[in-house]
Amino acid sequence: MKKVRKFDAVPKLNGSYKFLDDYTRPNLLYGGFLYAKFHHGKLKQIKFPKKFSKDEFTIVSYKDILGENIVPEPENDQPFLVEQEVMHYGQIILGIAHPNKKKLKQFIDNIEVEYEEMPAITDIEECLSDENNVFGRVLEIKHPAEIGNTSHLIHTKRIYRTPHQEQAYLETQAMLAEYDKEKKEIFVLGTMQCPFFVKSALDAIFGDTIHNSVVETSEGIGGGFGGKEDFPNIIAGITALLAYKSGRPVKTVLDREDDIQITTKRHPSRVEVESYTDPITHKIRKLNIDYRLDAGAFQTLSPVVLSRGVLHASSGYAVEDCYIKGRLFRSNTPSNGAFRGFGAPQALFAIESHIDNVAAQLGIDPYTLRKKNILKIGKEFPTSQPIIENHLEDCLEKVIEISDYHEKYREYKQWNLEHKVKKGIGLSLGLHGGGYTGNGEKILNSKIKLVIEKNADINIYVANTDMGQGAHTTLAQMVDEAIEHPHNKTRVVIPNTNKAPNSGPTVASRTIYIVGNMLRNLIKEVKKELGFDNLETYVKAHQADFPREFRSLFKPDPQAIFDDETYKGVAYKDYSWAACVVEITYDPTTYEINLEKCWNVLDIGETVNPEIARGQVEGGVVQALGWGLSEFFYKKGFGRKQGFTDYTMLTSRDIPELNIEFIHTDNPIPKGLGEIPMDYPAPALRNAFLNATGVGIDEIPLTPEKIFANLEEK
Amino acid sequence: MIALKFTVNQQDIEITVPDSMRLLDILREELNLTGTKEGCGIGECGACTVIMDGAAVNSCLILAEQCQGSRVETVENLEKDKILSQLQEAFLENGAVQCGFCTPGMLMSAKALLAQNPHPSLEEIKTALEGNLCRCTGYVPIIESVQKAAEKLGKDAK
Ligand code: FES
Ligand code: FES
Repeated sequence: MKKVRKFDAVPKLNGSYKFLDDYTRPNLLYGGFLYAKFHHGKLKQIKFPKKFSKDEFTIVSYKDILGENIVPEPENDQPFLVEQEVMHYGQIILGIAHPNKKKLKQFIDNIEVEYEEMPAITDIEECLSDENNVFGRVLEIKHPAEIGNTSHLIHTKRIYRTPHQEQAYLETQAMLAEYDKEKKEIFVLGTMQCPFFVKSALDAIFGDTIHNSVVETSEGIGGGFGGKEDFPNIIAGITALLAYKSGRPVKTVLDREDDIQITTKRHPSRVEVESYTDPITHKIRKLNIDYRLDAGAFQTLSPVVLSRGVLHASSGYAVEDCYIKGRLFRSNTPSNGAFRGFGAPQALFAIESHIDNVAAQLGIDPYTLRKKNILKIGKEFPTSQPIIENHLEDCLEKVIEISDYHEKYREYKQWNLEHKVKKGIGLSLGLHGGGYTGNGEKILNSKIKLVIEKNADINIYVANTDMGQGAHTTLAQMVDEAIEHPHNKTRVVIPNTNKAPNSGPTVASRTIYIVGNMLRNLIKEVKKELGFDNLETYVKAHQADFPREFRSLFKPDPQAIFDDETYKGVAYKDYSWAACVVEITYDPTTYEINLEKCWNVLDIGETVNPEIARGQVEGGVVQALGWGLSEFFYKKGFGRKQGFTDYTMLTSRDIPELNIEFIHTDNPIPKGLGEIPMDYPAPALRNAFLNATGVGIDEIPLTPEKIFANLEEK
Repeated sequence: MIALKFTVNQQDIEITVPDSMRLLDILREELNLTGTKEGCGIGECGACTVIMDGAAVNSCLILAEQCQGSRVETVENLEKDKILSQLQEAFLENGAVQCGFCTPGMLMSAKALLAQNPHPSLEEIKTALEGNLCRCTGYVPIIESVQKAAEKLGKDAK
């Protein structure tokens, strides 16, 4: 637990670190996409603008696809390019390339697409309330118990809604592709989270026409958050097809507007929560949750998001009789995808808001209700997975203490009676299972490789990318610290599918938790096998043996068994835990909320690099508060968001004072970190507004317009 | 086409470019100074911020002719500039760099602030950085870094 600087901070600070658009090639073409600007319809004709000579442009349609027109995904239902029927706004029809960026844009802007319009679902509410609109598997978690007569229990039934969220990574999606005719090899360089996903997309789109595909990431990856998990497959596939057809290197860099219009977003949700609570003991006896996500036009990876959503739906509470149902709904909007939290933020927004609604109905404070029902040793999750630690309760107690919650809770009640500008304090709990769900890690079967060089440098070969979260620094640090090797002698080699074994995608808070632990174990085994104390001395004495390569495979825990059919068993071996308090002020004349303070206590196990860990929490919390306060992608009557002009994220002026503490850091395992800070803050903000005004709004974001509309209703 | 004479990082530049070319493209494509980034192209994100005649500007909104005779400063000037290198130090020290895509723009906005106002208040710092979006850090360590750099520069000046 030392302070180790990020290896890439200096080149990022002097502008020398290369992001995808900073690369060029001789003879380069620029790539772009023609995409549908309507929601649903049959293509009739594409008219190219007469003032351009079409021959100057390389154009690919689905007919140019040499393999399959299906993007590899957990659910293979999305084409790379439209064939006849456009299923959603933003669906890509053609890939186009030209040596001049400006000309390319003008050409694409002037193409006319004729189509026959078909009925479309574009409104989130319309999508999520129509039970005939379900697609894919219905998930159920059943934890039944006979609780007898419910007539004396307090019945609470509410519907919670969350909107799309735009990833808004500062670097837009971008790929550079080259085709080597001799070797029949496609090379793709790009900004991405999952090089092996992109490789499988290339293999799918080219089929047997190529002998090999190689994928490498650019030096810098300007943020990902899940947005660069699966969509890069499409950009890479089409860009590579353009390179193949033109015989020249092609670079596609999305404009911000295009990126916002066509890439994946966080799934909008509608979650109905129904509870029965004992008015005397304050125990929630029975809980029914109906969890719905708008998947967009195709399922792609939504079934996996749904799975994580239902598994987090009851949050940190033990309820005897619990039933959770999860379903995906179809709409004619772009497929929604991975985004930090992966279904958990929607789940937690619902249940953590519900807890405050129940507390209000019982006339008790929200802390007491949480405390009475919190998960602890002896209790179990709805999947029957036993709870093995009381760390969630420790997070709760700590956050209450450091935020002075009880005192403020009392004080603000009085304050609000006497003042026009209101004060509010809100509480929430959070949890996040690390790594792939259920048997996912077993199936992924990750592989890693280390090379000890002649000068005792250690090169780490993994497929996991550093998109700013500091993963490469932390991974190298874990290896160094395991054998007390100097910090400047270990590095992660830029991920390349020809060099690195497949250590799995950079998702699900698994990079440090899974891959880091594997690396640490491997280097410890190497140390034991070779029998050295100091690696540098050893290598000097055994020069002939080096460079030498070491590999290992993921070893699943035989105890961790999950039944994917019944949804019973160990869904996640290790959970991270959190508790949060948000303080706001609210001005009833402008309907505006001001974020004042946000206290976070987390158990993420060992914090390998405390500064990087803090950074993850700061960034995640602000992203979550933005989602709760101001971000929404589109809504009936508003239209789609066009770019940063109308998509309002928090700026430096809007952020609250943040307070972050990690507890139980003596755990030898660094658990999942990246996602949990996104999961829990939004309901704490919403609960703070309830505390300030007595009005519980069950939908985010809490924009002045929404607050006004809700107050009018009351 | 327009024939331009201006300076970038104290170097005289003479170059002929299309009238419609943006300063951002002149820097990135003509002068190969790729440290300045494009995040939106419409003046909303601040990733392309450079300093022009002492003021922080969005280089995606500056057209070629506006560069005529100006003094432009980019992140590549870091080593030669005291305020900038102090800021870099502080960003490094405080973990203010995550993906790094917003970083050059942040540095330039902060440098313009400190050059005009060596002892800014917290509110003044927040306001100066308001036009620079960062999706990774939550702004906290960036704001702290600017505060620390200002303190350090203040001390050194004494
Ligand atoms: S690129 Fe200039 S402000 Fe965003
Ligand atoms: S560090 Fe990634 S956008 Fe600021």
